[in-house]
Amino acid sequence: MFIMRFTERPYVAYSEEDVRKSFRGSVRLTFPNTHFDPALGADLYNEYLDEYQFSEEVGFDGLMLNEHHNTPTCMGAAMNLEAAILARITKKPRIVLLGNPLPIFENPIRLAEELAEIDMISRGRLVSGFVRGTGIESWATNTNPVHNRERFEEAHDLIVKTWTTPGPFRWEGKHYQFRVVNPFEKPLQRPYPPIWIPGVGSPETLEWSARHHYPYIYLETDPQVTVQMTELYSKAAAEMNYEPGPQNFGYLWRVHVQDTDEKAFEVGKGFLIGNAGVGRVPMPGDFMAPPGYNSREGSKRILDQYKHSLKPDALYGGVDAAGWDAVVESNRVVVGSPKTVIRKIREGLEVLRPGILGLWTNDGTIGHKDTMRCLELMKDEVIPALHEIGKELELPGPFEKAP
Amino acid sequence: MASGNYEEHSVSVGGAKIGYLKSGRGRPLVALHGVEGNLEWLPLYEELAQRFTVYAPTHPGFAGSDRPAWLESFFDLSRFYLWILQELGLARVTLLGHFIGGWLAAEMAVMSPQSVDRLVLLDAAGVRPHKGEITDIFLHGTEGTRRLAFFDVKQVRDYELLFGRKPTPEEREAHAINREAAIRYCWKPYMHDPVLPELLPRLRNIPTLVVWGSEDRIVPVECAEIYHKAIRGSRLEVLDRCGHFPHLERPEELSRVVLELLSD
Repeated sequence: MFIMRFTERPYVAYSEEDVRKSFRGSVRLTFPNTHFDPALGADLYNEYLDEYQFSEEVGFDGLMLNEHHNTPTCMGAAMNLEAAILARITKKPRIVLLGNPLPIFENPIRLAEELAEIDMISRGRLVSGFVRGTGIESWATNTNPVHNRERFEEAHDLIVKTWTTPGPFRWEGKHYQFRVVNPFEKPLQRPYPPIWIPGVGSPETLEWSARHHYPYIYLETDPQVTVQMTELYSKAAAEMNYEPGPQNFGYLWRVHVQDTDEKAFEVGKGFLIGNAGVGRVPMPGDFMAPPGYNSREGSKRILDQYKHSLKPDALYGGVDAAGWDAVVESNRVVVGSPKTVIRKIREGLEVLRPGILGLWTNDGTIGHKDTMRCLELMKDEVIPALHEIGKELELPGPFEKAP
Repeated sequence: MASGNYEEHSVSVGGAKIGYLKSGRGRPLVALHGVEGNLEWLPLYEELAQRFTVYAPTHPGFAGSDRPAWLESFFDLSRFYLWILQELGLARVTLLGHFIGGWLAAEMAVMSPQSVDRLVLLDAAGVRPHKGEITDIFLHGTEGTRRLAFFDVKQVRDYELLFGRKPTPEEREAHAINREAAIRYCWKPYMHDPVLPELLPRLRNIPTLVVWGSEDRIVPVECAEIYHKAIRGSRLEVLDRCGHFPHLERPEELSRVVLELLSD
C-alpha cells in the first residue's frame, strides 16, 4: 500500500463575520484578499514546507499537494512551485500532485514543461495527477465552465502526446492549437510520469479514468457511496477487458494523531474549519458548480448516485453539517492515539480496499506544533503498522502492481 | 402570461429543431428573447401581432430548441440565426430583441443589413460601457440578478406568476438549460462584442429604436447612448421608473413607442 501525506495549507486568520460580509457570503472566490497578510503567509508557506520535508523522515511514500484559487482554505495556488521545492529538498518520497486543474490552463505545453522539470529535478519521483478543478477555478480564471470537461480531456491528450511523441508536431484541436509542439525538456520517467485522478466521484470522470487505467483517488467521499463508485469504475474497466484491483483506487482521509484520544479529539476539531473555512458558511452552489460545469446528464447521475446514501448528518462542511461528535463517530475524520487510529483505519481499509492511502494530517486551526507531534507519532507507530496492514490485507499500490 | 391565439411551430435548420411561436398577420417581425428564455406570448407580442406576423423563436440551446454541436459562441449564434430566417422564408424582417436578444439583433443587422427592415434594441447587451459595467448576472446568480432587474416589482402584472412561486421540476430544468446556454455564448468577453461598435455605423439606413429602462441595473443606460450615437438617425427612448425589463414593467408605454417607430 502506498501511503502519502497531505495538508491543504490553510490560512485561517479571518473571522466568520468576514466571510458573511463577502460577496454572496462566500469563503472562496469573492472573499476579499485584503484579509491576507503576506508576512503571515511567508511563515505559513515555510512551516508547511518544513512539515512536508519532515514527512520523508516519517516514512511516507508520497507527499501530496493540491491546487485551488481565490481561497484562504488552500494556499496552494501555484502548486507546481511547491512541488519543485519538494523535488529538491527531499530524496525518496514521490511528489504526488492531485492535481493540476487542466481546463484552466491556456497553454498545456507550458504545464508539460513544468512537470517535466519537476520530474527531472526529483530524479523521476513525480506523480502527475490531473483534475477538472472546482467551479471556483473556472470563475477565478474566467474559463467557460461549459467547456470544462472538453478542455480537461483535450489538454490531457495534448500533454500525453507531448511527452510521448517526438517533436516537432502540430496540434489543431477544438480548444488548443499549437503550430510547433517541441518542448526540449522531457520527463525523466518513461514513457511519462504516472497519472492519477482525484475526485469526489463524478461518474463521467470515474469511467474516463477506468478507460485510461488511471488510479482514481476518492477525496474523503462517503464510504458507502465510494463502494458504489468503485463499481462504476470496475464496470468501465470490464469494457476495456481488465479487472481493477486496489492499485486502481486511492482514498484520502482526514487523520490526526496525538498522544491520547482526548488530546486528538480536541486538536482535531481544527479540521472543521479547514476545507469549509472559518465559520463553515455554506458557499453558493453555483460557485462550486456553475451552470454547464457538469453536463445535464452528468448532473442527474451525480444526484442519483448520492441520493440514497448521502446522510446530511455526516456531511463534513456547511452549517447544516454535523457537530464534531457526529463527524468523528461517522469516521469521516479519524482522530485518536496511535492505537485508536490504527484500529479505525484498518476497519476502513477492509471495506474500501484502496492501494493508495492519503493521510490528511492537519487542516484549519491545527497548528504547526500539533502537526509536528502528529507526524512524530505517525513515524514511530502509525506508518509502520499501516504498511503491515496493507500487506496483510493484500492492498498493493500502483508501484507494486500496474493499475 | 400566455394570451392571444399564437401557434407553436418548429423549423429544422442545419439538422437542429428550432422552436418558435407565431401569431398575427402582416409584415414579419422577429422577437428575440433574453437570457430568461422564451417567456411564452408576451402582451407586447399580442399588440404587435395586430399589425405584424410575429415570430418568437427560442434560441438554439435554450429550452425548446436544439443546439447544433458546433454552435459555441455568440458569433456562431448570430450567423446561425440568419440561416434560421432563411429557413423560415423571411427575406427581410423587423428585429426586436431584449438584452442578449438585442445584441443578437444588432449582430445580425451588421452582418446582413439587407435582411433587416427595422430594428428595436431593448436594454440590449453587446456593447461595453465606458464608465459603468454590465452587471455580471452569472456571478450574482438567479436570485441576486432578479433583485437588480426590476425598478419596482409591483409594476409587473404577472410577477407572482412568473417569479413569485416555487418552480415546477420542468421549469427548474428549463432554467438550468437556459443558464447553461447563456453562459456558453456570453461568458467571455462578457455580454459584449468588442468590434460591434465599429460596425454599427453600417446600420444608418435602418430605422432603429433604442429603448431602455432608465433604472436598468443590468445593462446601464450608457449602453443605450452608445448604440444611439453609433447608429445615425436612430431614436432613443428612455422609460422613467423602469428597470431591465420594460416589456414586463412598462408594457403599455413600450408598446406605444415601438408601434410609433414601426408605423412610420
